[in-house]
Amino acid sequence: MRKLIGLFGVVAFVLGFSLLLSLGGFMYIPKSQPRVQPALLDLKEGYFIKDVFYIEYTLYGNNFLALIYLNYTYNPSYIYATAYSPEAVTAIVWDYRGLDTLFETAVFYLAIIGALALARGVLRVYKPHGNLGMSLIVKTVTRITSALIVTVAASIALHGHLTPGGGFQGGSAAAVAPLLVLTAFSLYFLFEKGVSKDLMLIIRSIGLIGIALTALSCYFIAVANGSRAFVFQNQPKFMNGSRIDVSIPSHIGGELISGTLWFFNLSEFFAVMAGFTIVFLLLFMPEEAYRGESG
Amino acid sequence: MINLELTTLVFMAVLSIASLIAVYLAVFEKKLVKAVIFSAIQSTIYALLYYLLMAPDIALVYIPVAVGLYPAVILLLISKTEKEERD
Repeated sequence: MRKLIGLFGVVAFVLGFSLLLSLGGFMYIPKSQPRVQPALLDLKEGYFIKDVFYIEYTLYGNNFLALIYLNYTYNPSYIYATAYSPEAVTAIVWDYRGLDTLFETAVFYLAIIGALALARGVLRVYKPHGNLGMSLIVKTVTRITSALIVTVAASIALHGHLTPGGGFQGGSAAAVAPLLVLTAFSLYFLFEKGVSKDLMLIIRSIGLIGIALTALSCYFIAVANGSRAFVFQNQPKFMNGSRIDVSIPSHIGGELISGTLWFFNLSEFFAVMAGFTIVFLLLFMPEEAYRGESG
Repeated sequence: MINLELTTLVFMAVLSIASLIAVYLAVFEKKLVKAVIFSAIQSTIYALLYYLLMAPDIALVYIPVAVGLYPAVILLLISKTEKEERD
């Protein structure tokens, strides 16, 4: 009877996904002709985008927002709507919809706090005798690959404004390296090297403080200059007939930094990597460390 | 020449059905380690689907989380409790 219900469920799933994919062919799947590139108009201060792009608005309908994002995430000729980032996803995540990412980071922060609260009753961790961890071959390969993993993850995070990736992607890829070291060597190896739960908590707090300071950076600059600015502001904005000319520089030393995006990616990388490592350090603790009064 | 768009669509349909088979095997498997392997296979197929749907950022998150971190946590859980699902 259970097998029959399972079979019926699988058939329903197969038919549902087939319907979804055939519908997707009309809407999202890449077509044979390339994306239509509308001509970028010479915009002056104060124009509402919908009035200027009226023809495209009638053509594209619900995809008008996508049209705006794709045209303005890197558009030096209209500095009041651009984020100076060729990578549209990172520009949307940290500039256009920065508050959503703030709440997502807060949710991740609370989840790690929940895991930490569950593991309060650790008394003392005693290192057992003998050879710990896996064989010599596994340890040597882990030494090489964990360095490579951290390098690639840092590249994903720091190039998040140029290539696909970003802070969270790089952080979750970098969290695989401590997990490998925990499995191939042992938990006590990491403790002897100084990687403890408290150090990871400090790194995570530094990442979160970096995010908060970067979000408020334009506000502090405006307070020092006596003008106005928004929270999560990246480049100058034009609101209600007045210019808000506070910005983080988009190029440093000739290299594209995209204002606050690079600093957001760096801080989120450290916060996410340290958060995942805390959870794994707590999960790998042996049962004997929790003996005694544990709340 | 072959129609590239249709080939991509057919390939995505085949991948979806393969992921469904992997999920079915993962749910109805009694040995828990094999079930985790089937779940990792399903996540790999999903990462390939995300790449074909032109969402590389999501694929870059899904691969370390669902193929690396999540099976590691479940395998640790299996090693601390039982290795076979009794019913």
